[in-house]
This record gives sequence, C-alpha cells and structure tokens, in this order.
Amino acid sequence: MLEFCDVSISCGATPILGDISVCFEKGAVTTVIGPNGCGKTTLLQCLNGSSKVTSGTILLDGTDYLAMPFKERARCISFLPQVRTIIPALPVKTLVEHGRFPHLGFSRKKSEKDIAIVNDVMNFTHVDAYAAQYADTLSGGIRQRAFFAMALAQDCDYIVLDEPATYLDLKGQRELTEMILQLKNQGKTVILVLHDLGQALRISDMLVIMQDRKIAATATPKECLRQHIIEDIFDVRLKEFSDGEGCYYFFY
Amino acid sequence: MRKKILLLVLLLILCFFAGVLLGSVPLSPLSVLRCLTGYDKDSTAYVLIYTVRIPRAAGAYLAGMGLATSGVLLQYVMNNSLASPNTIGVNSGAGFAVMLALFLGNGQVSRLPAAAFLGALVTSLAIFGLAYMADSSRTTIILAGITVSSFLNAGINTIKILDTDISVNLTSFMIGSLSGITFDKLKIPGTAILTAFLITLLFARSVNVLGLGDDIARSLGLNVPVVRLVVLILSSVLAGCVVSYAGMLSFVGLIVPHICRRLFGNDARYLLPCSALLGASFVLGCDTLGRMLFAPFELPAGVLMSFIGGPFFLYLLLKKKGGRRINA
Repeated sequence: MLEFCDVSISCGATPILGDISVCFEKGAVTTVIGPNGCGKTTLLQCLNGSSKVTSGTILLDGTDYLAMPFKERARCISFLPQVRTIIPALPVKTLVEHGRFPHLGFSRKKSEKDIAIVNDVMNFTHVDAYAAQYADTLSGGIRQRAFFAMALAQDCDYIVLDEPATYLDLKGQRELTEMILQLKNQGKTVILVLHDLGQALRISDMLVIMQDRKIAATATPKECLRQHIIEDIFDVRLKEFSDGEGCYYFFY
Repeated sequence: MRKKILLLVLLLILCFFAGVLLGSVPLSPLSVLRCLTGYDKDSTAYVLIYTVRIPRAAGAYLAGMGLATSGVLLQYVMNNSLASPNTIGVNSGAGFAVMLALFLGNGQVSRLPAAAFLGALVTSLAIFGLAYMADSSRTTIILAGITVSSFLNAGINTIKILDTDISVNLTSFMIGSLSGITFDKLKIPGTAILTAFLITLLFARSVNVLGLGDDIARSLGLNVPVVRLVVLILSSVLAGCVVSYAGMLSFVGLIVPHICRRLFGNDARYLLPCSALLGASFVLGCDTLGRMLFAPFELPAGVLMSFIGGPFFLYLLLKKKGGRRINA
C-alpha cells in the first residue's frame, strides 16, 4: 500500500499541493483523474524526486519511502514520467536495458537475470521486433512502448505511469489496457494518470479524483457513477451502455 | 565494433611513430628503434627523441584525450550536442585562470593546472547554472557560452597587455600549441588527466542514464545533482589541465565526440574510451603535420586542427546518409 499522509509538494520554490492524504491499495489499479492543472502529475512526480515534498510523509508498505536512498526507491516504484524532452538516439534494446540500472552493482555488469528480464519485458510490450532500431527513428507509439518496457525492466511491485496513453493510437491504447490488466494479475500495483475517462472507468479498481489541487474524492468506478461525481467535477454528462462484453461510457 | 576499435589503436600507434620520426630534423626509423631500445644514448637523435619528440607526443596524446572526453561529458551533462569545452567557455575560463595565475603569481608554473581546473569548473558551473535558472533551450546554453568566452578572452587580452613580462606567446596560447613541452611540465597535468579519465570510465553507465533526461534519470534512481556535479568536475579537470600546458585548443572537444557517435553510437561506455583514442591521434597527427608543412616554420596544432577538422565536420554534417543522426 502506498500512503500519502498530509503531504505538501512544491515544484522548485512554488508550492503546488498542500496537505494531501491519499492511499493507493496494493495489487489494485488506481487511476488519478481530474481536469488539467489540478496537480495530478505533481502529486506523482514526488515519487522520483522531480517535485519536492516539503512536509508530510509517504509510506510504502509501512516504511518511510522518502527516507530511502534513490536507488532503493527505484527498485520499489518504477515511475514513467509523461514528458519526453529527450528522445535518446539509442537502440530500443539499450534503452530497455537502462531500466536495470537501479539493480546493477558498482561494476555495472549485467547478470543473466538482468538479460532475462529485459528479454521478457520486450516480449511483453511487443517491442522485440524493434530491438536494434534507434528510438529516435521510431513512431511515437512504438517509442512509448519502448519507454514502457524500460519502466517494466525495473521490475518493481509498484508501477506508476503518467499519461501512458499519450502518443498511442486506438489499437495501442487497447493493448496498453490489456498489458495493465495483465500486470495487475501478476500481482503488481498500478497507479495511472489518464485523460480518457472512459478508459479510466473501465480498467480501474479505484479512482482518485482531483480538483483545484485537492483530492475531491476517492471511490470505485461504480460509486463514482452512482454519485455522479465525475459529472459534477468535469462538468459533463455521462451515458453508460453495456452489452455482454463490458461497459462503455459516453461523455457529452 | 571490435574492428573499429582496433583501427583506432593502430591509428594511435601510427601517429606516435609519425610524431617521433618526422619534423624539422627527420630521423630514420632505424635510429629511432635503436634509441627506443636503449642504444646510442649519446647520439643527438637520442636527446632529440627523449627531450623533445616523446614529451611532445605524450602532451598531444593527453591533450586530445582530455579535451575529447571532456566534450563527451559536457554533451551528456548539458544534454546538448553542441556542448564542448570550447563552445561553452570552459577553455576560456581555464585560459583566463592561467593568465591570472601567471599575472598574480609572478610566472610560477607549478600552480597552473590547479588554476586552470578552477577556472574551468567555475565557468562550467556558471554556464550550467545559467541554463538551469533560465530553464533555457539548447541554443541559449551555447549563446551563453559564446558570450562568456568572449568576455573571458577579453580578460586574457587585457592581462597580456597590462603585464608584458608574462612568458606566454599569446597567439599560440589562444589557438593552442604543443611546442616546448617537457616531461617536467607534463607531470602534474598528465597525472591529473589520466586519473580523471579513469574515474570517468567508472561513471560511464551513470552518464548514460543522465543522457536520458533528468526526469527519467531520477526515475531510474540516479542521484542527478551529485552525478552532474561529479561529471562537471571531471570534465573541468580534463579540459583545464590541457589548457594549462597546451593552450586553448579548440575543435577537438566538439568534433571527435561527434565522429565517435557516428562510428560507435551513443553509448558512453564505448564513446568515452573511443573519443579518447581518436582525440589523442587527432591532436598528435595535426601537431606533426603542423611541424612538417612549412618546416622550419611551425604551424601550431590548433591551426591545423581547424584546417582539417572544420571541413571534415561540415562534410559529416552534410552527409546525412549512412551515419547516425547526431543525438539532440
């Protein structure tokens, strides 16, 4: 379980979030949603130190997460940031291998286990066909999958993905959904930021809804629908359709 | 890959023999061989080889190695393919510090490497600080570097004019020259360069992760501020020490990393040692050619490097096909 207890967070010197308390259940898929600029990214960025926690604590399965050394943190939570300012001119395989960095000792030698994990995640994310191609020559979608593979190569119990569906076409998004559900079945805890509310409602066990830099609600998708939380906060109307295969949501 | 590295090593050895054999007094391979194996200790060839040619070759090797690896490091740390000791003002910072040390210290030579290192470090920290504060684009960093360079070069010129006693030939200092190098002059900077280079190799993987951008580097558990500071210090030692004895050699720190990127890709574990090898050969080759072309006149190594390196770099830039595009 990942618990934020009265956490205040700032970016640089600017305070962004104050006294946030929220809990992410172990083994579940939790999605943070909310209108643009409500602080979703800032909230999660403090997990890799891109935004600074100024007060409060974060507990990871009961231990003080912020007291851990950086490497140790990267072995517990793999966090894939949203923005790609740099597209490295590296072969996809080399990029994915960087995911093993927090596990390498001082000699930085890859073990057989490292090699096996890299092969596994490349297989899992379907980027093995692009192993030798350079990341900067690939399309946005495949590149995104390569970064996803790199994050999975960290082999953490907690996987945090900030807007993983950006750059993905419809098929890519469907495959991403499948991969996330598979990860959950493997016992991983997945925390997401998503803009597609329909996708969020379909795949999440729990939704964390943010508004005006506060946690507005924490609820299961069913409750959200029943209490009209999403409609209130996003100022939209929602229709739900279901057939034998699942539920579909329509916003207008 | 292995073949290419082997070629670089062969080039290095070839340059060494060229550097020792050729010059205003050409030596025959036989006499050189006899000197190197310890015969003929009293001959003029022996004296020439051990007091002039070999120290000079060693100086050229160290200069090329130091500047090229410093360039690679700066490119990673600034995430900018145009960064090099010359373009971001590190060389000028070191040069200014050298002149200042000569000016204030009555021409004591032993402190020059330390002064140059400090000058280089202060300049690179300043440039990085500027870039960080302004959250600036790649172009801004280079512009800031060019501005700082020209400011510091003005300082160098001012000191030289105010104190005419300074025992430095300003033209060859600012363009970079290897004439008059002795083993004694090389002792301190040479040791520092070799040590810094070996430490750099230990950091290659961290440097690679730093190259993925700050956000991802942090996600992978890299202590970004610490690694960045260490890398800036290492690159300052490498570039500063070279400037302290060879002057402000330009170009090698920019083009050698780029040539190596095209040959070996963007993995710092290969890029660092290969740039060191190629940089060493390049500087020694240019120095030897400079001594030969208009003998008995001598063109400083820096001039030759610009003559050869400039057009070659343009050729690389224009030739898109086949090679790898330069990493942003």
